[in-house]
Amino acid sequence: MRDLIRFIREVPWEGGEPGGAFADLALRSFRLQCESIPEYGAYARHRGPGPDRVCDWREIPAVPASAFRSHELSARAQTDDAGTVTFETSGTTISLPGRVRLRSTELYEASLARNFARHMLPDQAALHAIIFGPPRAEAPRSSLWFMVDHVARELCPGATWIVEGGNPRWERADEELSRAVSERRPVLLLGTTLLFHAYFARCEREGVRFALPAGSRAMDTGGAKGTRIEVRRADVEAAFARAVAIPPSHLVNEYGMAELGSQFYQDTLLATKERRPARPGFVIPPWVRTRVLDPETMQERPRGAPGLLVHYDLANLEIPLAIQTEDVGARAETRLTLEGRLPEAERRGCSLPFERFLERERMSEGEP
Amino acid sequence: MSQGLFDAFYLPPGLAEEAETSVQRFGPAHDSVELRLVTVTPAAIGAWIDALWVARAERLARRPAAEIHRVLERVAQRFLDPGSAPRRSATAWLARIGQFSAPMIERALEDTFRPLVSGGVSRWVASEVGSVAALDAPTRDRKGILRRASGPEWMLQIYAGNVPGLPVWPFYSALAMKTALLAKTSSVEPVLAPLLARTIAEEDADLAACIAVVWWKGGLTELDRAALRDAPAVLAFGGENAIASIAREAHPEARVVLQGPKVSVAYVSSASLTRSGIGGLAARAAYDVALYDQQGCLSPHAIYVERGGEVGPAAFAAALGNALEDLRDGLPRRAPEAEHAARVQLYRAQAHFEEALESRGTRVLTSSRSTDWTLVYEDGARFEPTPAYRTVRVHAVSGAAEVAEALAPAAHYIEAIGVEAKGGERGKLAGTFAATGIPRITALGSLQRPALTGTHGGVHRLLPFLKWSTVELGTATRTRRPSPRKRKRS
Repeated sequence: MRDLIRFIREVPWEGGEPGGAFADLALRSFRLQCESIPEYGAYARHRGPGPDRVCDWREIPAVPASAFRSHELSARAQTDDAGTVTFETSGTTISLPGRVRLRSTELYEASLARNFARHMLPDQAALHAIIFGPPRAEAPRSSLWFMVDHVARELCPGATWIVEGGNPRWERADEELSRAVSERRPVLLLGTTLLFHAYFARCEREGVRFALPAGSRAMDTGGAKGTRIEVRRADVEAAFARAVAIPPSHLVNEYGMAELGSQFYQDTLLATKERRPARPGFVIPPWVRTRVLDPETMQERPRGAPGLLVHYDLANLEIPLAIQTEDVGARAETRLTLEGRLPEAERRGCSLPFERFLERERMSEGEP
Repeated sequence: MSQGLFDAFYLPPGLAEEAETSVQRFGPAHDSVELRLVTVTPAAIGAWIDALWVARAERLARRPAAEIHRVLERVAQRFLDPGSAPRRSATAWLARIGQFSAPMIERALEDTFRPLVSGGVSRWVASEVGSVAALDAPTRDRKGILRRASGPEWMLQIYAGNVPGLPVWPFYSALAMKTALLAKTSSVEPVLAPLLARTIAEEDADLAACIAVVWWKGGLTELDRAALRDAPAVLAFGGENAIASIAREAHPEARVVLQGPKVSVAYVSSASLTRSGIGGLAARAAYDVALYDQQGCLSPHAIYVERGGEVGPAAFAAALGNALEDLRDGLPRRAPEAEHAARVQLYRAQAHFEEALESRGTRVLTSSRSTDWTLVYEDGARFEPTPAYRTVRVHAVSGAAEVAEALAPAAHYIEAIGVEAKGGERGKLAGTFAATGIPRITALGSLQRPALTGTHGGVHRLLPFLKWSTVELGTATRTRRPSPRKRKRS
């Protein structure tokens, strides 16, 4: 664990790590996981040559993300379980959500802190957070709201949550945004794309806009594909600019899932800081590898060609580090572009009430 | 034949001349098809509905139903003739839009139109209405009741594009009951409905004057609303969200039939598992699985196989794997999009996970290369839809009761069960499965060929839309003396 944390904190963002350290750490974690997670051990032996004979990290059998729904895939507790954090993974209409249980969130937090700071706070700004979502206590099984809660506590001087008791309190957002405008104090907005979308639709109806001061920024997570609401990225950017005066250069989309300790961010804000054009896609942090496989043959795709994504994340220690997803995307060096994503609500099992709320909102607008 | 531009709409002469059109590319950039689409606005929809209404009153409402049915049968015959222009056009354009392989399209056209020739339309209508003549004038039914059936003046139909041929029976149902038709095609299959309308126009201009086939992007509220607002009848196929939105927008007094997403299953009795019959049985099951790449509601996702036969369920699974392998060339599929193939791979990985843990005796059989077919074998009955594209689960079970219990919570997702059984056990099994509410029980190998006289989604094809005029002027009623009690009351 110590070596993993050190690696996550110290590995350079560009240019690769010295001496195959990723491969070494990945193989060590894999062998450990074969022991500490018996179901995974059985699977790894069934699908590969066995933990002792795997010598390339690419040969580590990736567990299907769906297996979190059918099986226990978290390391068995050796001692007292107090303090264990449980995240729920996405369920489907027929199956129940899966579970990720972490006795220690240290690795998760190390990955989050470094990744978030680089992509959201490259200027080391200390910003009040306005969170378009519930406090952790109201969504204790959501990895997304755990993450946001941690950011608010560790990286922000203060925070306000907009969702309470399962309902968005839009007037609270109005107040916070007005205050930031009048005090000329930049703020950090965090939330799901869908909830921002709902708030901005309300702003539009009521003719309300907030000219947030320069330096304000937002992280939105999840698209809206597959839900009843389709939101194009260009429309999301336009809505942020119109409603809260956050330009596309200060809007960062994030991609994550409960089965991964690490997240992926767009580099828009970092690019602005570095005075260069943003690069397309999401940044794969250097402690994560993503393989893109031909979905027909499961062979590695050439650079830039789309395929199904398999992630190898060193922030996963108490759950398997190699995760096979049903996401389709392409990779160019350390960047990932996604196609056909499922909505965040579905992946993180966090926001059914929001979805219902959004349906009510749309119905009150008279839309189908 | 499939080169150039396809007119992906049909409007009767008069309306067609006034309509604005535009050409749009359809399909992937490297292999797109050019479609001419009509520009749809709420005003245009209103004008079409008015014109259809008038045309129906003047040119359709008073025609003898049997005459209309003969026209429809002639049209079906043309689609069955391999050399005819409509058949060649349908085959070529359906292949061009790339959803299914050519052999699959040929099979679909054959299976779709064959039941509609040689008196098929009239037999179907009579099976629901009692007699064809009852659509023309009050006619005595089998119980001696004198009555006439009237279809709605016009009807909105919204098609899905998951299987080729889907628009055909709905199209026929409207015209067969003298109802004008405004049809909205699917964005993935905008071909067959306009071709059908044009072929009807070649056969009978009066009938075709009562048809409009157009496409607009679903979810464009003002257009959906313009079409739905006054529709006296609606028949719609689609996903859960589309269906829910149609249900909200339809007129409260409209006759509405909504066909949402469903799948099918199959059951094999132990008595039918013999060494000599296993090959044929597996081939029939594989055919039902493979047809339309499992995109239809009649495609089986799970096959429940009784233990205790001469051949066991595991051997059946192996035979089914071989049969699916044979169909790889015999009835080729179209390669699924990356997103769907990724889902199949995740499903396979999940099955391998279960296989590794040996909890349900799980075994995974797959095509050697690519995602051509996937078969997961396990002990015990349960139901969960697969990601399709020829992905099927074979369950070893103790009997029908175990299966009925497993299906009960998901019964509303199931359209049909294909049954393989011998003699007397057929009736018994049918009784067990009918009790679960599954709408259709048929023979394995015939799942994909539903009888028109049966139901779809458990609902008849004509009856939900018909209004009845019952004549109670019979002499017996008029001359019967009121009973003393009744007289006292009055």
